[in-house]
Amino acid sequence: MYGRVVGVTVLGVGGHAVTVEASVGRGLPSTTVTGLPGAAVQDARDRIRPAMEQAGLEWPLRRVVVNLAPGNLRKEGPGLDLPIAVSVLVATAQVPARAVADLVFFGELSLRGEVLPTPGAISVAIAAARRGCAGVVVPAANAVEAAQVEGLRVVGVEALPEVVGFLRGTWTAPDVPAIVAERPAEAEVDLAEVRGQEQARRALEVAAAGGHNLLLVGSPGAGKTMLARRLPTILPDMTDEETLEATQLHSVAGLLAGRGVLRRRPFRAPHHSISTAGLLGGGSSVLRPGEASLAHRGVLFLDELTEFRRDAIEALRQPLEDGVIVVTRSAGSVTFPARFTLVAAANPCPCGFAGDPRRACRCREDQEARYRQKLSGPLLDRIDLRLTVPRLTKDELLGASAAERSDEVRARVVAARERQRHRYAGLGITSNAHLPGPIARRAAGLSIGAEELLARAVDSMALTGRGFDRVVKVARTVADLEGAGDVGADHVAEALSYRTALEQDEGLVRAG
Amino acid sequence: MEHGFPRGFGRGAAHADAVLVLRCLLGITPRELFALIWRVGTAAGALAAIERGEAGSDNDRAFLAGADPARIRADLASAGARFAAPGDAEYPPAFLRLADPPVGIFLRGRPLDPGDDRVALVGSRRPTPTGREVAIDLARGLVAAGLVVVSGGAVGIDAAAHRGALDGGGRTVAVLGSGIDVSYPPSNGALLRAIEATGTVLGEYPPGVPAEPFRFPARNRLIAGLSRAVVVIEGAAKSGTRITAEHALELGLEVFAVPGSVTSPLAQTPLEMIREGATMVRGADDLLADLGIAGTLRVPGSSPRLPPPQRRILETLAAPMLPDAVARAAGLTVPDAISALIELELRGLVRGVGGRFERTFSAALQG
Repeated sequence: MYGRVVGVTVLGVGGHAVTVEASVGRGLPSTTVTGLPGAAVQDARDRIRPAMEQAGLEWPLRRVVVNLAPGNLRKEGPGLDLPIAVSVLVATAQVPARAVADLVFFGELSLRGEVLPTPGAISVAIAAARRGCAGVVVPAANAVEAAQVEGLRVVGVEALPEVVGFLRGTWTAPDVPAIVAERPAEAEVDLAEVRGQEQARRALEVAAAGGHNLLLVGSPGAGKTMLARRLPTILPDMTDEETLEATQLHSVAGLLAGRGVLRRRPFRAPHHSISTAGLLGGGSSVLRPGEASLAHRGVLFLDELTEFRRDAIEALRQPLEDGVIVVTRSAGSVTFPARFTLVAAANPCPCGFAGDPRRACRCREDQEARYRQKLSGPLLDRIDLRLTVPRLTKDELLGASAAERSDEVRARVVAARERQRHRYAGLGITSNAHLPGPIARRAAGLSIGAEELLARAVDSMALTGRGFDRVVKVARTVADLEGAGDVGADHVAEALSYRTALEQDEGLVRAG
Repeated sequence: MEHGFPRGFGRGAAHADAVLVLRCLLGITPRELFALIWRVGTAAGALAAIERGEAGSDNDRAFLAGADPARIRADLASAGARFAAPGDAEYPPAFLRLADPPVGIFLRGRPLDPGDDRVALVGSRRPTPTGREVAIDLARGLVAAGLVVVSGGAVGIDAAAHRGALDGGGRTVAVLGSGIDVSYPPSNGALLRAIEATGTVLGEYPPGVPAEPFRFPARNRLIAGLSRAVVVIEGAAKSGTRITAEHALELGLEVFAVPGSVTSPLAQTPLEMIREGATMVRGADDLLADLGIAGTLRVPGSSPRLPPPQRRILETLAAPMLPDAVARAAGLTVPDAISALIELELRGLVRGVGGRFERTFSAALQG
């Protein structure tokens, strides 16, 4: 007596089809799982029998061998519970064998026979579609997310009896609710809530328009977090493809629960005590995406940048350059997408009050030097926009004019992005931030006035080579926001304003 | 107590060695040592009294047990430093008028010229950018008029004053609060070497003594002792800057102070000094006029013709302002205001501080 169904194991973000065979033969009652099962899959042996019995199904009191193929692939996660159970049901003729052909099964079982929400359903659906299957049977809680994959029938099930009913043709799955036509950018927060801070609001707009990373330097209470949280609301809506990518990462991390798909660009703000694995992905047996990947297509916010572990920060260079993170463990190597906008925040000095007109900074020179040292480095080189966010006085707050809403700003951002896509069509990049330094100056189209201003800035602001490239890229974005063909002197001037005291003082500190 | 050391103090080879050893003791304070010398009369006598335990600390006695004047002199030579005792050409006579004159000083660089007219510029180690600018302007003005600048060997106003003097092609004297061969902070090493090339670095402490906060106040009396006048640039309330000014008053020097905004924490010491009678100066011109040095050396303000928006902004910037406020006051959009502010910054007329913009000292000079 033999049964065969198809399941999927999720490794990293990718789903890999697994053929699950069950053989029920003579011998003392026992259950064996072969074919490189991971710990969670080994557990399935003990879970499935009570689950089936509770659901009123029969578990064969004979020798059961379950084989998972291909045998060279390590199988992880609880999602193979359901295909193993169904393979036994086929082998014991409790459901017809032809009913399971062309379907992929996925889901974790409880001891009462419920099919529990399981991380990674969307990756399963993608793998099933790629294999040419007609449909997937997944936990009802994950049905909407699986339905994002086109051309696939999605059957959401709550418990084993429904699976059996479906396969016997006595139960019909409810239709998966159509994608809720919610405005994707309908977010809880809006840029209009930020009072004053016009320069910071403008910097967010420039960051969004050119895909630039952003450093916010300011005293505690200046509103750095409030600003960062609103960056996703002015980014263009995610394309379908981006939605799918981001949803997949959140799905395998088990963070989707309840929500079908990710509609808003993610905003991730890990605490500075996070481990390197937590930030970049990893884990001992099951490789999970890290915060950097969960921020894919959205914003990764690192508050108190100097407090993060140095190695974790250094490791962010790979995703900032390549948009992916490769995690290698003994269990294998996995690639997680991680293309995000980085927003980092830091105090201007250890005590937090350097540059504040109302409070004297109490830091010693050596403390401050060490602090600058901590802030510098390869990560900072990849941050085009740096901005000082001042703590506002009551008068400054009261004097602030009414602020624009996120959707108004987003319209300009979308137009600027469109211009960049058009200009860089042949270059394989989509935004000014990704313009390679050496060609930035040529590709930007600097006017004579812009060149002159830059030359003066090199002299009087001690602009370095890298700093020069950054200014050119940001100036290009400012020009794109205005719809200007060439980069003018005023665009360069604005770009030059996105520096902080940490760089402005460099010359003097060296001299002093 | 009368001024200075006993007649003939430190004369003769044996006594000269004793003076050098006495100056290497870190336990006994200059004031205690001065009193002891007056009690016993000679340098060798003071050493013997310390060895007997009548003064000084156990550390001093431990040091004396192994002290070898020849080795100290060798250490000094290898640090490129020399020693001057009271009566030596390089020992400033004005030090003898202090309540606690140093028994000797260590020097590096060019000889200290007794004929020099010196003015001290003192202020915060953490000044505002404006404070730095003013210090540079004052130092340039002083050296252009042929005077010599004196300041501490630390960062902030000290470093800016020396930098201004060197940039102006003049001479400057740095007074260290640490060992004569110790740069504090270490980043100051290059500046001190530059000072040595044309001016002098001096201090009370032998090679190897680390910088400690409690040594800075003692250093300040030497700054005052070297100078004809003291200018206080920036200092928080109850700062070390105030100590220098008090030493200056004790010595009967002229004290000047550069005012700042009443709300600025770093303007508190100069404002207090002005209230107590210090002369207010707004820059090098005021200072030179008050010192009785005729003639202004500033190139008359060929104020550049600014585009109207930039001129409007410069006129609006009474205090540090947010770019939003600048934009509103000048009737510009925020991006345009930011662009204009940066153009002004490149002209050296405006600078950004902590997210706000303010006029520079140069803008004030151009009126």
